[in-house]
Amino acid sequence: MPERRSHSMPEALPGSIPAEGAVVASRLPVGLRRVPRGVDELATEHLVVNMGPQHPSTHGVLHILLELDGEEVIAAEASLGYLHRGIEKLAESRRYNQITTLVDRADYASGIHSEWAYALAVEELLGIEAPPKAQWIRALMGEINRLASHLLWYGTFGLDSGAMGPFLYCMRDREALLDILETVTGQRMMFNYVRPGGVAMDLPPEAEPMIRKFVAGFPRALSEFHDLITGNEIIQARIKGIGTIDAQTALAFGMTGGCLRGAGVPWDVRTAKPYGPYQQLDFSVPLGTVGDTWDRYMVRMEEMEQSLRMVGQLLEGIPEGEHMAKVPKVLRPPAGEAYACVESPRGELGIHLVSDGSDTPARMRMRSPALYNLSVIDEVLPGCLIADVVVIVGSLDIVLGEIDR
Amino acid sequence: MAYGLGLLKGMGVAFRNLVRGPITVQYPDERLALPQRARWAVIPLWDGSGATRCTACTNCVRACPDGILDLRVTTREDKTKHIDAFDYEIGACMMCGLCVEACPFDAIAMGQDYELATSDVERMTVSLLSDVDAASARREKPASEAVAPAPGDAPAGEA
Amino acid sequence: MSDPGRDIVGALAALALMLTNGVVLIYMLRKVLGRFHLRLGPMRVGWRGLLQTPMDVVKLLTKEDFEPAMTDKWVFRLAPLVVFVPSFAAYLPLAFSPTLRFAGLETGALFILTALAIIPVGVLMAGWASNSKWSLLGGMRATAQQIAYEVPLLLALVGPVMLAGSLDMTEIVLSQQGAWLGVLPRWYVIPQFGAFVLFFIAALAELNQTPFDMSVAESELVEGFANEYSGMKFAFFFLAEFSNSFIIAALMVTLFFGGWLVPFVDPGLTAPIAPVVFLVKVYLVIFVLMWIRATLPRIRIDQLLAFGWKGMIPFGLLWILSTGLVMKLAEVTG
Repeated sequence: MPERRSHSMPEALPGSIPAEGAVVASRLPVGLRRVPRGVDELATEHLVVNMGPQHPSTHGVLHILLELDGEEVIAAEASLGYLHRGIEKLAESRRYNQITTLVDRADYASGIHSEWAYALAVEELLGIEAPPKAQWIRALMGEINRLASHLLWYGTFGLDSGAMGPFLYCMRDREALLDILETVTGQRMMFNYVRPGGVAMDLPPEAEPMIRKFVAGFPRALSEFHDLITGNEIIQARIKGIGTIDAQTALAFGMTGGCLRGAGVPWDVRTAKPYGPYQQLDFSVPLGTVGDTWDRYMVRMEEMEQSLRMVGQLLEGIPEGEHMAKVPKVLRPPAGEAYACVESPRGELGIHLVSDGSDTPARMRMRSPALYNLSVIDEVLPGCLIADVVVIVGSLDIVLGEIDR
Repeated sequence: MAYGLGLLKGMGVAFRNLVRGPITVQYPDERLALPQRARWAVIPLWDGSGATRCTACTNCVRACPDGILDLRVTTREDKTKHIDAFDYEIGACMMCGLCVEACPFDAIAMGQDYELATSDVERMTVSLLSDVDAASARREKPASEAVAPAPGDAPAGEA
Repeated sequence: MSDPGRDIVGALAALALMLTNGVVLIYMLRKVLGRFHLRLGPMRVGWRGLLQTPMDVVKLLTKEDFEPAMTDKWVFRLAPLVVFVPSFAAYLPLAFSPTLRFAGLETGALFILTALAIIPVGVLMAGWASNSKWSLLGGMRATAQQIAYEVPLLLALVGPVMLAGSLDMTEIVLSQQGAWLGVLPRWYVIPQFGAFVLFFIAALAELNQTPFDMSVAESELVEGFANEYSGMKFAFFFLAEFSNSFIIAALMVTLFFGGWLVPFVDPGLTAPIAPVVFLVKVYLVIFVLMWIRATLPRIRIDQLLAFGWKGMIPFGLLWILSTGLVMKLAEVTG
């Protein structure tokens, strides 16, 4: 194994280390910045509850501290790190073709997009481009992965609100998608398929009928999903007007993806900074207006429809050619740095690679969209009820794997 | 408070799904077939005469991101190699397939056996080859060095 | 048989029904929910999973019945009983046939509602004594919800009782004999449809069932007020929940669907199979309750309470008023 590098500690930022003799509050509950206070001199305490890390509806091991006044949230703070696996540090001691297996595992619900961003970054460093056929296959697998991820989001969103049925119905369709992914890439989740230079293997002949069958059958399932949750008055009463994140707040927190588009900002990496074959595809980017949970929900449902359209177009239009460019077995990109981003189901997923000319990177940093999407709960949750907390966190579509890396 | 139609429509969807029937595959009585490219535990491949194709080049050992392959070789005076042990820590394997892609001699492949769960720690490490002579490296080499061979292609010879 | 002897046999029979019903309903719930969710439910324990619930009962009996450290010991232990005993008591007025019932109570319908009204006390005790914030939240939500929805339940009951002229369950069933124009059975669901809808919704809230299961919101509070309970104490809560379903469904069938009457057939003829007819109807109603549970999401607690106090109670009062007016008009015009 190549030896590990050690880096010297950066200098402390001013203000981060308390000065000599400063009074540090030691009785505060870990995480919350204020001690819960009573109301109007009555001894009514505010409750501090832990939502998570073991909880049926935080999407992964998420730990949110809530200060509650009865049912109403006064303050909220997320305590992260329960799923930290040191992916970025591990990447410094892996060779470039091995890192694909690492980035797969960060955002496990959309592995193709993470691999794609990484492949684009390495290709930028190497100064090569994947052949057109590889780009179309990447987009096809990417849109299938987007559908799978959005279906998972839909099912868990329904489950958070109490409806058990939609979860299992969406899993039925997700199984069809995972079968397609397994037929093409070999695995249902950790694909190791999109490589710097192209894709690992060409599409097998049995994949096309499976994809066609799915494309034919999915619109009916989608209309059922709309009947189950979108048209449901209980859901409408519960999510309209809740958790409003306006465009300014969203941009200030660095949100991207469905959350930002729900607020009305038309930023989609596929149209703003096109990559792959997206310029040749015909699709629209759905936008919300107000930025409440309903808008984010409808944006993602619309995105599923658009993804389905794109899968149909991609399947028809795959060009002939090679599925992989000529790259050496052991990649040694010249020294430099590159940042490449893709539109993952959660938002702008970016990989920043710094190469020093050897066969392992000097630094790999993942810009995970869910982390920025989650950071807004500090601002949005105060004032809601506990039931809204669950619904809002569900509408942000987070995956703890990429938040904690 | 016109709570009504949407809820009833949703319940109609549920009823339709009730009538459509379950989609359960009752494992272990029924099993789904795996696609050809499914990657599970690594298995050794044999050539037509039943000997291993492994030349102990250790490409796979170096390709593995977690370093779970262990190839112990003794080189005799006439430069032929004898594989003492080729151990594979199946308990740590993430089935990424990089070892199989790196092998230039088609000596290993990703098998399709996924029922690997065991309560015996000893069985977390599997011996792929032990105490055999390595094949000669001077036989025909498939594919050029530039592109990694695709693990999905049909392996020559018997699995 | 002497009176005390008869009463004791009646009580034991009610207990037997309660326990059997619990076992059957748990299996039915798992199977029905499974089928709605495209899966099979229990299949391996016994033929098609029939032994699953008895084995679960054995498991609950043999489980360690631990109490978390700082609970209020006696409140913690008494809470399951406060939930279980009223639920058992409410079985007594049910009428399965013209002659078969556990105890002859002239105020049967009211007695059932009174017994069910004691249950929120037990829920609150459980939530408080568990010494857990999530349980406390669940307990308080459940109490607020169940107390709020007792009034619409009672108001919905008044309509059919006015038409029947008695609170006795057997009388209410007998007054639904016959048919209008020979086509429609004289079941109260038709003239009292508004009361039926009100009763149905209030029943869902009383039973802590989706869409009103905020107190047991599985995706927020895990198990709400019963979080910290295990073993037989938890079994009591669980059993009480299912026996409440039976009681409310039985009340609904008695009030609105003709109890043990078979439409267009003379009651004297069907008297031998009347209990079977009654049970079939009750289990159909419970099936619909499970269907709702499998599909609908849950309402938020403040919306739930607003709906109850500001929507259902005014509607119930108006309905009673209009029922009374129509009855008086019918009487005046002959």
